[in-house]
Amino acid sequence: MSLTTAHSVVAPSANSKRIAGVIIVAYALISIVPLLWIFATSFKTPPDSIAYPPKIVFQPSLEGYCNLFTTRTRQTPEYINSLGPATGLCDETVRKRNMVIAGPSNFVPRFVNSLIIAFGSTFCAVFLGTLSAYGFSRFKVPLADDLLFFILSTRFMPPIAVAIPIYLMYRELGLSDTALGMILLYTAVNVSLAVWLLKGFIDEIPREYEEAAMIDGYTRLQAFWRTVLPQATTGIAATAIFCLIFAWNEYAFAALLTSGTAQTAPPFIPTIIGEGGQDWPAVAAGTTIFLVPILVFTILLRKQLLRGITFGAVRK
Amino acid sequence: MLNRTADNVARATPEPLARKIRGISDKGLAWLFISPTILLLLAINIFPLFWAIYLSFTNYRANRPNEVVKNLGLSNYQRILGDQDIWIAMQTTAHFVFWTILLQTVIGFTLAWLIDRKFRGHAFWTTIILVPMMLSPAVVGNFWRFLYEPQIGLFSYVISFVTGIPPTNVQMLSNVELAPWAIIIVDTWMWTPYVMLICLAGLRSIPEYIYEAAEVDRASNWRQFWSITLPMALPFIMLAVLFRGIENFKMFDMVNLLTGGGPGSTTEVASITLKRQAFESWRTGYSSAFAIILFVAVFGLANIYVKALNKVKQR
Amino acid sequence: MSRTVVSKRSSWPRWARRGLMENIATAIIAIGFLMLFQHFALSLYTYSFITMLAGTVMFIIVSKFPE
Repeated sequence: MSLTTAHSVVAPSANSKRIAGVIIVAYALISIVPLLWIFATSFKTPPDSIAYPPKIVFQPSLEGYCNLFTTRTRQTPEYINSLGPATGLCDETVRKRNMVIAGPSNFVPRFVNSLIIAFGSTFCAVFLGTLSAYGFSRFKVPLADDLLFFILSTRFMPPIAVAIPIYLMYRELGLSDTALGMILLYTAVNVSLAVWLLKGFIDEIPREYEEAAMIDGYTRLQAFWRTVLPQATTGIAATAIFCLIFAWNEYAFAALLTSGTAQTAPPFIPTIIGEGGQDWPAVAAGTTIFLVPILVFTILLRKQLLRGITFGAVRK
Repeated sequence: MLNRTADNVARATPEPLARKIRGISDKGLAWLFISPTILLLLAINIFPLFWAIYLSFTNYRANRPNEVVKNLGLSNYQRILGDQDIWIAMQTTAHFVFWTILLQTVIGFTLAWLIDRKFRGHAFWTTIILVPMMLSPAVVGNFWRFLYEPQIGLFSYVISFVTGIPPTNVQMLSNVELAPWAIIIVDTWMWTPYVMLICLAGLRSIPEYIYEAAEVDRASNWRQFWSITLPMALPFIMLAVLFRGIENFKMFDMVNLLTGGGPGSTTEVASITLKRQAFESWRTGYSSAFAIILFVAVFGLANIYVKALNKVKQR
Repeated sequence: MSRTVVSKRSSWPRWARRGLMENIATAIIAIGFLMLFQHFALSLYTYSFITMLAGTVMFIIVSKFPE
């Protein structure tokens, strides 16, 4: 009896578990290689990065990070010798290549733009989303299903198709290439996710809490502040992280609608070039800095991921 | 702890505002809460959409705003829908959508099915597998250009090492035959975890007792897989397929960075054509019509997606 | 998002119930996509847009029908 059930799907046999484990671990390791390669390349020197065969063991260097944060000009060795001693690690590294640091690169401003736009739009989307989700969850809204579908459907619009009229509209309103314009746009894209996700979270909070609070003399709004919001904190945080990741990663709108002052990091990183082509260690360094926050958030979010990618439909 | 936060929040509520809203009925409050979102979406999504519909009937060019705008009726649509090149762009898109979805579904479902065995450490490895899908397709896609570089790129090196093809000949991005596959590989690498995660939810939603009943009936594992596992997980698979279908139909970032539509126009998917027409040739009216066509296609799929979503929700 | 508009004993014809009509609309949208994506006849591609549009409009309308 026990022998037959041991081989069933109900309780996978030790052997099948072991095979499954080996395959999954192999897949995970292979799929993580490109990321490890980005990380490794960021610590290579440019000659090491384009060596054949690709170098797995190499002397780590911060040149990629130096190149990421600075712009450099080529100088004659005489000129470089006439300068005083190098003022820092980057200065020293760069001089070895007969170059002098000319100034900071655009990476920091672009990264700051990404931060401002991602956090700004996340805040707005979660704020609007929480209110709407509460409205849809607790009140009888006429045509609620149609409104919810309308809200969700805006997320499916192809970015390039939206970008054409938005480009014209922003040109009229003076919002082209501004952080405010991008925040508005990303808020509009993210609010659909926020409403759907948060509605799921708020639906799970029993109405009895608010009703009890209202019997105690609170108004509906006070009950919302005091009982619903604190209970929805986890949901709101998870939603915020999803919105943040989307806004952080977004490329199509940013590439088409920003060119200078409001450009975010994703369209900027591919444009990092060195002498004679792409400066891959610098690109890898920029990519690494750009990806690390997302990696942290992914680990924080892992229990909520499923919910996030199905707009709250699958709660498991 | 929770109560203290609640009190702080309540105290932080501006008193005059609270008093003003106190008198509002539930219905009023509902609209007060919902309308800002709707207004924002009307301003940023729906108004531009109608503008685009208007432009699609004209010969407007965004780089010549002062020129007289002529009404062309339906001729923009007629030109796009009769254009051989755009038809080919659609076939390129179809090729890309078909293969990415097929690969992602097969690999994703297999992975989910294996993870469902709950071997030791499965939670940790699942998290590792999920990482690529959270990253920026543009930034990571851009880095794949380096991996695909002939000779110095890791991917090309591994391929030439395994197959014995000279390393300078592995030109994933500049070879007409290979370039579409280069994009399919990156997309599959990135989004298989997405399909896997949803399939895993589907597998876990199957109640244990069904398998136990099948066990009593002495159904073989093979039989159980085809008549229980797959049909029960199917709504979830459909959900993942539809979503990936919509996303890949409008795929832009990865293709733009990896190949930019090249070599020639072998990887020119619909979004790339649209971008070239709209933001390089500045044929705004024409590209608006194209945008509307793509939009209708996506909107049709979105309807089906929401239907699938509701089906899954009922489980 | 279940739309329970009409009670059980409605006079709405059986063939025009939401479930069936939605499936038909879904099929029309799918056919439109096949027409858009095929590489056999240009004329099929030309009419794909109108097919998808018809399917989508039909879907929106029939989703209001009673179950």
